Amino acid sequence: MSVLAPIICDNGTGYSKVGFAGNSDPSFVFPTAIATRGSASQSARAPAIPSKPGHLASKRGVEDLDFFIGDEALANAKTPGYGVHYPIRHGMIDNWDHMERYWEQTIFKYLRAEPEDHYFLLTEPPLNAPENREQTAEIFFESFNIKGLYIAVQAVLALAASWSSNRVTDRTLTGTVIDSGDGVTHVIPCAEGYVIGSAIKHIPIAGRDISQFVLNLMRERGEMVNVPPEDQLKVASKVKENYSYVCQDIVREFRKYDEEPLKYFERYDGEHSVTGRKYGVDVGYERFLAPEIFFNPEIYSSEFLTPLPEIVDDVIQQSPIDVRRGLYKNIVLSGGSTMFQHFGNRLKRDLKQIVDRRLDANATASGSHLRSSGVDVDVISHKRQRYAVWFGGSLLASLPDFYTSCHTKAQYDEVGPSICRRYQIFGSST
Amino acid sequence: MILLEPHNVIIQTTVSEKLQKPSSLDVVFVDYDNVRFHLSTPDRKTVLLLSMHIRCWDELVKYGALDVLQREYGSLLSNQVEPEYNVSLEIDLEQVPADPEAREAFVMSLALLKRNALAAPFERGFATQKALEASAGQGELMQIHYRDEEAMYIQAAPDRVTVIFSTVFREETDRIFGKVFLQEFVDARRQPSIQNAPQVLYSSRDPPLEIRHVPGLRNSDDIGYVTFVLFPRHFGNAEIAAATISQTQLFRDYLHYHIKCSKAYMHSRMRFRVTEFQKVLNRAKTEVATTERKTASGRTMVSR
Amino acid sequence: MSNVLRPYLAAVRSTLTAALTLEDFASQVVERHNKPEVESATSKEVLLNPLTISRNENERVLIEPSINSIRLSIKIKQADEIERILCNKFTRFMMQRAESFIVLRRKPVAGYDISFLITNTHTETMLKHKIVDFIIQFMEEVDKEISEMKLSLNARARIVAESYLTALQS
Repeated sequence: MSVLAPIICDNGTGYSKVGFAGNSDPSFVFPTAIATRGSASQSARAPAIPSKPGHLASKRGVEDLDFFIGDEALANAKTPGYGVHYPIRHGMIDNWDHMERYWEQTIFKYLRAEPEDHYFLLTEPPLNAPENREQTAEIFFESFNIKGLYIAVQAVLALAASWSSNRVTDRTLTGTVIDSGDGVTHVIPCAEGYVIGSAIKHIPIAGRDISQFVLNLMRERGEMVNVPPEDQLKVASKVKENYSYVCQDIVREFRKYDEEPLKYFERYDGEHSVTGRKYGVDVGYERFLAPEIFFNPEIYSSEFLTPLPEIVDDVIQQSPIDVRRGLYKNIVLSGGSTMFQHFGNRLKRDLKQIVDRRLDANATASGSHLRSSGVDVDVISHKRQRYAVWFGGSLLASLPDFYTSCHTKAQYDEVGPSICRRYQIFGSST
Repeated sequence: MILLEPHNVIIQTTVSEKLQKPSSLDVVFVDYDNVRFHLSTPDRKTVLLLSMHIRCWDELVKYGALDVLQREYGSLLSNQVEPEYNVSLEIDLEQVPADPEAREAFVMSLALLKRNALAAPFERGFATQKALEASAGQGELMQIHYRDEEAMYIQAAPDRVTVIFSTVFREETDRIFGKVFLQEFVDARRQPSIQNAPQVLYSSRDPPLEIRHVPGLRNSDDIGYVTFVLFPRHFGNAEIAAATISQTQLFRDYLHYHIKCSKAYMHSRMRFRVTEFQKVLNRAKTEVATTERKTASGRTMVSR
Repeated sequence: MSNVLRPYLAAVRSTLTAALTLEDFASQVVERHNKPEVESATSKEVLLNPLTISRNENERVLIEPSINSIRLSIKIKQADEIERILCNKFTRFMMQRAESFIVLRRKPVAGYDISFLITNTHTETMLKHKIVDFIIQFMEEVDKEISEMKLSLNARARIVAESYLTALQS
């Protein structure tokens, strides 16, 4: 094997997932945070330029190497003189200086790879501006001299990741992606590897909100009195991650819990992070109520009231008519907040109801005897959902086609950054 | 981060993670200079197999890499080497010392696998120098082709050990930046504070005398030779020698890392300057009176 | 600014100000087209004499006026190959962002490092003397920036070498 494994780098707003193609999990998952010298406010003025040559600054000269990324950045947040920055905002790169250095350290300190020997697969959010892609290419080709670059849309990679599920038989890049991370949830329709930009919808409910909701519920029940205030949110998110599931019917679930609380209530034991004092909380209704905010948002928020299945249906209805069947048939989940048990089943059931109701209404309204043959609705859950985007990248980059679809250094030198405006879909069998 | 670390972070983090919670695993990853690793649990969850492929393995074996690894890892060294790889370590997680400090040291020693393999020719060079002190003459010229186009040469003499790196810069910018850097390496020793550092020589195009007779040397513009002259004080005791080896073998990566960092720094400077120019140009723009434009049906137009 | 540089910039400034007398002018060749004549060069009679202002053999400015547009190309001082590569990097970086620089040309005229194209639309929507200011300030600062970049590169290289050797001498 002459070519070393390509590097997959999925930089999200909250966390970055980096690793090598062919693996099933990223080698590193750490916050997309960078701690640099100088206060947070000063950074807007950008690089520490040694203002006058021969000045003290030029003697020091390498302040720009004095920084930490990821977990180390957060650990150093309190160190005097350092300020933590988040170079990515809403999925888009906000501060290129910080991002360039972030990549620099990711590659050299963590991956320990000589970028000149590697191909890179990066991800971008849907509707990313081509200028951003050009700037990324500029950094990777000019600063790092990488061998080749492929920038893929996150939603498309999430679709590719679903190929690992044994329920998927044809490797298609048509489908609806529900990507729910920490900050925001997107519903993104893709047709043959291209995002249908006009139909994308965002839902302001995601992981952070669920944790908050769990916290509220537990506070109301008085469970949190034993828990030190600074640990409460952490406990809530642990409860969410470890005990929550999606139920089929809230009313029945409530009744079940009330009849046999001993069977359904769980106990969570924690330890205070500083003092080491032990505490315990009972985990009850929040087990099934937490993910319920996707399906009945009114229980948590008063501004956003449309349930997730309805949003998905809206998105698909706004997409071109000839791809709608494909979009209903292949709904793919991605991101940590879709990991709840039975999430897929519930979404499938609710969405199917909406679709069937519309078909019936159509049939009645048209008064004809012809009935539609129905629309297949299927939601795909798979094991790699949490890091689906990264995993999809890993999968695609291990295909032989990957190397031919990449933009190489030679091509970049010939054409310039604008080469990245074009990209090629590969890997799907249809 | 100015200096590169000698250990591999992935090995370090993954193994310590698995020590706490064994689970099945199968990952591939790399290290500098075309080194490939494969960490897996082929049989049981508690037995990790760490395999390494290194381009210049045959040469390293010739210069005693197996002895060094035997010394460092002892019984961990697996007799059955995984196909496609050069060396395998079998780590039984249940046999790892329980004491946290010893455990950490153990994990670190695993993470230094590549460094230890590459240390063999250095150690042999240092030993040869010791032997030659009494007699005279020249040690064997050891060649390590650790990359496709670049190599490392080590030769012992009665009073010193010479380490020569050939460096190739594929890009014009890198070549020029590299030249500036290498020149500074040569000049840096004039500083009184680091006069004890090894002497560094740099020549572009022409190979230094020591290796001039080696066949197959390229003679083009983009190639350069860096010579480190290590004196006995740089490897007098074991600890110093170990540090010297760790640093020296990362020379190429260190150089390239800093060339890249400089380019990144130039980028930030240029970004800053370009926004400054932008501001100046924006001053030229006149205030355009923005009247709200409406369509016939009364809709407003928003320009984005 | 050094005293040697000042007359050079003054010459560029007055020439450019004088040349920036542009008016709307429709193409005489293609109906309903309105192109910068200096670029399309389809009618000879609307092109004026190009003019070069040289400070020395390495630094010069070419000003090509026409009826509705003017092209200004700058050759930036490059004393050695480091400056050459830095200058090249900088101009390329800037031209990559030509979109936001309005008057910047995406490619330099042959023999020059960077070119600007100012059309009558630009002089109508922007203040003429401020455009001139911008060009002059650019010329002034680009030299400074490149020499500063070179200095910082050298400084970095020294620190890098020193840190490495310090680690070795222990």
